[in-house]
Amino acid sequence: MAWRNVWRNRRRTLVTIAAMSLALLVMILYAGLMAGYFRDMERNILDLEVGDLQVFAQSYRDNPSLYTRIEDPDGLLGSLEAAGVQASGRLLAWGLAAGEDTSSGASFRGVDVERDTQVSKIHREVADGEWLDPADPKGVVLGRRLARTLGVKRGGEVVVLTQGADGAMAYDLFRVRGILKGIGDATDRAGLFMNEAVFRELLLVPEGAHQIIVRRSQEQPLEGVADLVRSVAAELDVKTWRQLLPTLASMLDSGRSAMMVMFVIVYIAIGIVILNAMLMAVFERIREFGVLKAIGVGPFEVLRLIVVESAIQTGIAVAIGATLAVPGLYYLSHTGIDLGGMSMMGIAMDPIWRAEASPETFTQPIVVLLCIVAVAVIYPALKAALIEPVEAMRHQ
Amino acid sequence: MNDTHSSPIAELRDVTKVYRQGALEVHALRGLNLSIERAEFSAVCGPSGSGKTTALNIMGALDKPTSGEVLLEGTDLAKLSRRVLSHLRRDRIGFVFQAYNLMPVLTAFENAEIVLSLQGVVPEERRERVMGLLADVGLEGLEDRRPDELSGGQQQRVAIARAIAGNPAIVLADEPTANVDSENAEHLLDIMEALNRDRGVTFLFSTHDPRVMERARRVVRIVDGKVESDDRRA
Repeated sequence: MAWRNVWRNRRRTLVTIAAMSLALLVMILYAGLMAGYFRDMERNILDLEVGDLQVFAQSYRDNPSLYTRIEDPDGLLGSLEAAGVQASGRLLAWGLAAGEDTSSGASFRGVDVERDTQVSKIHREVADGEWLDPADPKGVVLGRRLARTLGVKRGGEVVVLTQGADGAMAYDLFRVRGILKGIGDATDRAGLFMNEAVFRELLLVPEGAHQIIVRRSQEQPLEGVADLVRSVAAELDVKTWRQLLPTLASMLDSGRSAMMVMFVIVYIAIGIVILNAMLMAVFERIREFGVLKAIGVGPFEVLRLIVVESAIQTGIAVAIGATLAVPGLYYLSHTGIDLGGMSMMGIAMDPIWRAEASPETFTQPIVVLLCIVAVAVIYPALKAALIEPVEAMRHQ
Repeated sequence: MNDTHSSPIAELRDVTKVYRQGALEVHALRGLNLSIERAEFSAVCGPSGSGKTTALNIMGALDKPTSGEVLLEGTDLAKLSRRVLSHLRRDRIGFVFQAYNLMPVLTAFENAEIVLSLQGVVPEERRERVMGLLADVGLEGLEDRRPDELSGGQQQRVAIARAIAGNPAIVLADEPTANVDSENAEHLLDIMEALNRDRGVTFLFSTHDPRVMERARRVVRIVDGKVESDDRRA
């Protein structure tokens, strides 16, 4: 009877199912896009810039100095590797980079090319040219704004000028091997990457490292890994990316909260549409429910009939909405939406906004839709179940 | 429940019913006393608003009295829960309504079968009983038609089959001939008379229709919510 009741007013049923399907489709795509947005944003922060954790010598962050270094980075890297996390050291210094006509302040970063690929994906972000190569010691990679400021292109020459560890002027001529895509304000404006060996030779830093970047696997909790690293590097300053970029971390958290608020608002709107449809479906048949009760159908059976009717409609809507969402989400997760490149809080965003497609992308909106239908149907169903038969039969 | 032949099947004792319409109180029944014996073929008549439909609704456990007692086979309905009342309506009372009130999505067979399904009768027995009933009311061959494919008279015959399918103690029929033409009205009355005569089904009508009053063996006239006359015929 429930199945036939569903189809007795075909147009209204189809409109209700279409509304629910569309709502579910939108919510799945929206959930996928937002999850993808935050995933990519966090990934950009971690993959391209800070890693999950960073280790410094004590006081380095308060007073960055060429001389304040982690004394035995190789030992520490070995211990961290043995503890199950990936890590790589970097050397940092500041100075001047000069092109043919102009110069600019620059942040020099000495990179262990092979090891760095385990903790950073910045090597994949070269817009023009190639990443560092130990076989090309004089090749450097520049942030895109620094390259623009200096007026150099791939293959061009850059003079690096700084103060070495011995206090004397250190300078050398390098060739631009690559220019990065947009990474983040600091790197774009001043980043100059060079081979670790060349850095050591130029600045006379034979040993030590200024910064160790640590990565964890997705299964490892951030704080758990932080505790692990602190136990290995007890004398050093260990900071999670959330501690290094608190504003950005809180912005991501509040972004996720804002996304939930948006979800709630959209779901409430959907709930009102469904409630309206359910109310119409029940109240236009209230006289029938009165008759059913008159001939001995109990309140529970009336309740069950209405719940089954809405379950049928919801089931069809979920099937349609989820089926339509599959190609939509496939497109959004593979092709994505071209934003043309942007940055937020100094962190570059992917120019392509891709959705995340995971079981949760589907299950959360479906579960919420089911809950909304349950809430929307409960009032009309209870009303029909509890109304006195004679009162229901008077209903026109 | 009391099932002896000497006690009435249904009884209203000093029943009052007051409806509120805004600030206005409408006294539909004012101390009504009415007792229906087994196998009666009785009619309650009276002018519009006299309280006859209200009396039937209260006797059928569709409505509650403001005061007074309602007994069905000796059981005081006031003491029963909502769920037990629905079981009572299912098992002991049959209803025939003026507007037929069939389920539009069900066929004639399914409409007549619904009470038996609720009673948990097995499908084979349901089929046998319902087919027999539909044949008795002259609907053989129309079992698979939905209400919108049947005439008013045919729909009312399905309603009668539905009302008696569960072997109720009493069938309460509210203006059953009001929406059908004369020929169909006579045919419906023939059917109900035959069921009363051959199966001993108790009928209580609420009616304006002189044809029903002519055929009824007892006519109770209600005016202003009270019994004005009670005419029993041989």
